[in-house]
Amino acid sequence: MTLNMMRERKRFDDEHQDSFIVVHPLDDVQEEKVDTAGVGPLRLTTSVKLSLMALRGYLILMTLLLLYHVMDLSGLFRQWKW
Amino acid sequence: MASRLFIASSTATTNGTVRGRVVHSKWTKALLTFLMVSGPGLIVMEADNDAGAVSTYVQAGAQYGTHLLWTLLLLLPVTYFIQEMVVRLGIATGKGHATMIYQRFGRWWGHFSLIDLQLVNFLTLVTEFAAISLALSKMNVTPIIGVPLAAIILITLVVTGSYRRWERIVVFLCLLDIAWLTIAFKVGAPLHEVVHNTIVPTVPAGGITASLVFLIIAIVGTTIAPWQLFFQQSCVADKRLRFSDLKWGRLDTFVGACFTIVVAGCMMLTGNAALTHRIGFNDPAQLAVDITSFAGPAVRTGILLLMINAAVLGTTAVSLSSAWAYGEVRGWPHSLELPVRKAKGFYFVYALCVCAAAAIVLIPRAPLQLIIVSVQVLAGLMLPSAIIFLQLLLNDKELLGERFSNRPWNNWVNWAIILVLFALSLVLAAQVICPRLFPGT
Repeated sequence: MTLNMMRERKRFDDEHQDSFIVVHPLDDVQEEKVDTAGVGPLRLTTSVKLSLMALRGYLILMTLLLLYHVMDLSGLFRQWKW
Repeated sequence: MASRLFIASSTATTNGTVRGRVVHSKWTKALLTFLMVSGPGLIVMEADNDAGAVSTYVQAGAQYGTHLLWTLLLLLPVTYFIQEMVVRLGIATGKGHATMIYQRFGRWWGHFSLIDLQLVNFLTLVTEFAAISLALSKMNVTPIIGVPLAAIILITLVVTGSYRRWERIVVFLCLLDIAWLTIAFKVGAPLHEVVHNTIVPTVPAGGITASLVFLIIAIVGTTIAPWQLFFQQSCVADKRLRFSDLKWGRLDTFVGACFTIVVAGCMMLTGNAALTHRIGFNDPAQLAVDITSFAGPAVRTGILLLMINAAVLGTTAVSLSSAWAYGEVRGWPHSLELPVRKAKGFYFVYALCVCAAAAIVLIPRAPLQLIIVSVQVLAGLMLPSAIIFLQLLLNDKELLGERFSNRPWNNWVNWAIILVLFALSLVLAAQVICPRLFPGT
């Protein structure tokens, strides 16, 4: 929030003690968010790293199985047998 | 609600002013703030009641009557807790989910998540257009005209360069789903039976069979989908929700979850009517036609229109989750607030998703059943791992601080959810490998 805007809101609040201002998020001044760009990859413990490796293997295996299943259902292998 | 406009000049905003409403009571302030902040939660939840969901819930009702209503009540906190984490992450970082996975877990996981998301999303879109085509044909509208028209409307919906306009239209479409309550009331089951089977988990007559297990997995997979994580975080970031909006974002998500579960329950009750009147059907459109004999033509038209509405909601949300995710990863401008000329890549991905899915549906003898099976299995595979990343991201206190990171009880709840989802995912995988694993019906 800029200094100019803060002053305006302060002055408004002083003049209208019983009033509140509601601003739509898209109309408000963009606030500074948590900086994710400079922090790099997440620091993980060895057990978490190993678990993620296992997950990667599981996902690759299951994706290949699914691919086989879909090809089987589509009758691709039956055509090859001919 | 007495309110007037407050305008303060500011150099930090694009238009040089900050516009606000002046209100005179705390209650009005709270209500107005909620109305301004709400949207992403309701949309993500209700868009999840898409064409596939209509089909699954109606089928559950037709096969097991009201016996599976308890699954919906169980899924209410599950879906809320998962999406609430996304709200926190979106508000804290102001970035989408795809960006976070790339930045925090590296390229391999980033690529895997993105490719898997795009694939599942695209296949889901095909099922949405298939439902539109089916419902339109029952209304005597030829798909050759109806499907391209739906695609054009869906593209027009987002290219206005105004997030607010898109959100208002989509929230209106979400609220149209209230009509499911009327339909359920008209064809519904006895109230005491509905309440009992919602609160008390019961196994239907016939015991635990393969079809029951997979219907429960399908209900879980339908209620919690991977695209929802990507969609809501990007939506929260695009709407620029502020730190102070967190509690309203949570309330929006909770209200959305409750509304969605109620609507899903009504869909099950509609299916239950088919069971009660011994009507066999292959899809909800056929059910709509068949129940005309006792429910009347208004219910028939209502179900068909609601099917189209569900598919339209699903399509806009799923396509946007793809476009946002791709735009984030490629570093393209990706906001509904931007006109087409300033975010060409973002809008192109959205339009491409919509047009390609619509085109596939129009191909004669396209393998739609194969696509539906693939969607369910791929989504089931992807979901637990997607939630693991979310869980790890939300435990990064160094980045998020105490306010936005998970509390210990959050972690217990989330790990329990992940374990259950993994178990269901394994069951699904086992069925793919050994189709005769469970006893038949």
